[in-house]
Amino acid sequence: MKNWFDLLYVIDFISVGILLTAVVMNALKRLESCVRAYIFNSWFLSILIFFVAVKTGNPHLYVAASLTLATKGILMPIFLSKMVRQIKATHFVEPYLSNSLSLTIAGILVAIVYTSLREGILVTGFSVHILKISIAVILIGLFIMITRRKAITQVLGLLFMENGLFLAGFSLTFGMPIIVELGILFDMLMGVIILGVFIVQIRRNFSSVDLDSLTTLHD
Amino acid sequence: MENLQFVIIIIFSPLIQGIIKKFKAGLQGRVGAGILQPYYDIIRLLKKEMVLSSVTSWIFKVTPYIVFSSTIVAAMMVPVITTKSSFSIMGDVIALIYIFALGKFFMALAALDAGTAFGGEGSSREMIVSILVEPMIMLCIFTVAITAGSTNIARIAEPQGFIFTPSHVLALLAFMIAIIADTGRVPVDNPDTHLELTMIHEGMLLEYSGKYLALMEWSYYMKQMLLFTLAADMFFPAGIAHNIETSSLIVSSGVYSLKILFMAGIMAIVESTRAKMRFFQLPSLLGGSFVLAVLSLLTFIMIGR
Repeated sequence: MKNWFDLLYVIDFISVGILLTAVVMNALKRLESCVRAYIFNSWFLSILIFFVAVKTGNPHLYVAASLTLATKGILMPIFLSKMVRQIKATHFVEPYLSNSLSLTIAGILVAIVYTSLREGILVTGFSVHILKISIAVILIGLFIMITRRKAITQVLGLLFMENGLFLAGFSLTFGMPIIVELGILFDMLMGVIILGVFIVQIRRNFSSVDLDSLTTLHD
Repeated sequence: MENLQFVIIIIFSPLIQGIIKKFKAGLQGRVGAGILQPYYDIIRLLKKEMVLSSVTSWIFKVTPYIVFSSTIVAAMMVPVITTKSSFSIMGDVIALIYIFALGKFFMALAALDAGTAFGGEGSSREMIVSILVEPMIMLCIFTVAITAGSTNIARIAEPQGFIFTPSHVLALLAFMIAIIADTGRVPVDNPDTHLELTMIHEGMLLEYSGKYLALMEWSYYMKQMLLFTLAADMFFPAGIAHNIETSSLIVSSGVYSLKILFMAGIMAIVESTRAKMRFFQLPSLLGGSFVLAVLSLLTFIMIGR
């Protein structure tokens, strides 16, 4: 039972999938496909936790996997796509940088993470390279937040960062106690809902979700 | 005997083109030409009289021979059905890429030599595409070469079995896009059209006729089959023979033809389901797959498999 996914490198494939969805996010032009990239990212994350749970036989990891799937894989995407539908203006991402440039920078970020974390980190969890991948995902999320014009893509960048942080914590400690995880997920959900309300309000007041127009203060 | 395996590529490459065309016709609900049609085309062209423009220099006349012979030299380097071959001493992947580049360089020169607008257009486009494609192919090859510990194609093809790791899958994806771009297939170029504004590869061949055109077309088919063979050697080497016994050679040629048919099927499916991209959107496709290739190398270094 435990042999076949060591043999097929299932865990490596899923972690590379997490990295790949974060990198691909830089190349997508439509908001819907960005949300879809986030869905894939969260599903890969929960499948990864599930496989580690199968591998180690740790019961609370099953709970963590299903919680992740429920909130990040199902609830949050439903909410996000509803938000995208409410923004009736253009559905294009409109980044500050061109797609190929931001893809290249994402590749450079991964390279930087690799060179700076080559060796010498003491990891008590199950895998050293998942830590590297998670830090790369955090940096790519940050990069998406910096270079996107629209509020909703910035929220997506934040969510990618959170996925990366979750993966980093998970790879170092085999997951936090279940109560902490519950708290984080609930916080995240609330944060996204509040941000969503903000975005809809911004759209109502300024008739665009472009954050560049939010430069002057009003009474 | 084992040194003659490149003859397989010379003889069967038009057949592969015919099979791809037949697959495409089937997918599009047409009957299509027979799979031997490329042979008939080559024979017909070889019989025809040549028309040479009076402004062309020796480059125009020597290019078909250079392209054809450089492709044959490249074919000698690639292990087709057995990894045992006397030519494997010089069978270095990087040399192979630059032998292809030599042919491409002369093709671009010859297109400029005839002095037509379409020739210049075609060669400038082809050069832009190859600038983007070459580093991509190199990176894919490096990923595989690090795994095998050698850039010799015979050594890369040697490990029997199924290499299925994250970095290999990423490299395979990038290499497929590179093959599509390098053979001028649909998202990048349309091999069946002679519409002036969109052609890339055909633009360079526009001034050729008769025997020269036959040589150019034939070397295009050979290059396509060589790239398929290279992908098969690098990414699914299972089944290739390691000795020169007749029985293993027969098994290996059966497996080889299956692999090539599989590649031809993928090409036909990609060509039938995708629309041709605008030329100025190409850098974003090829840049994306370049990042894929970089990631495959990084993943290999990062994860180690």
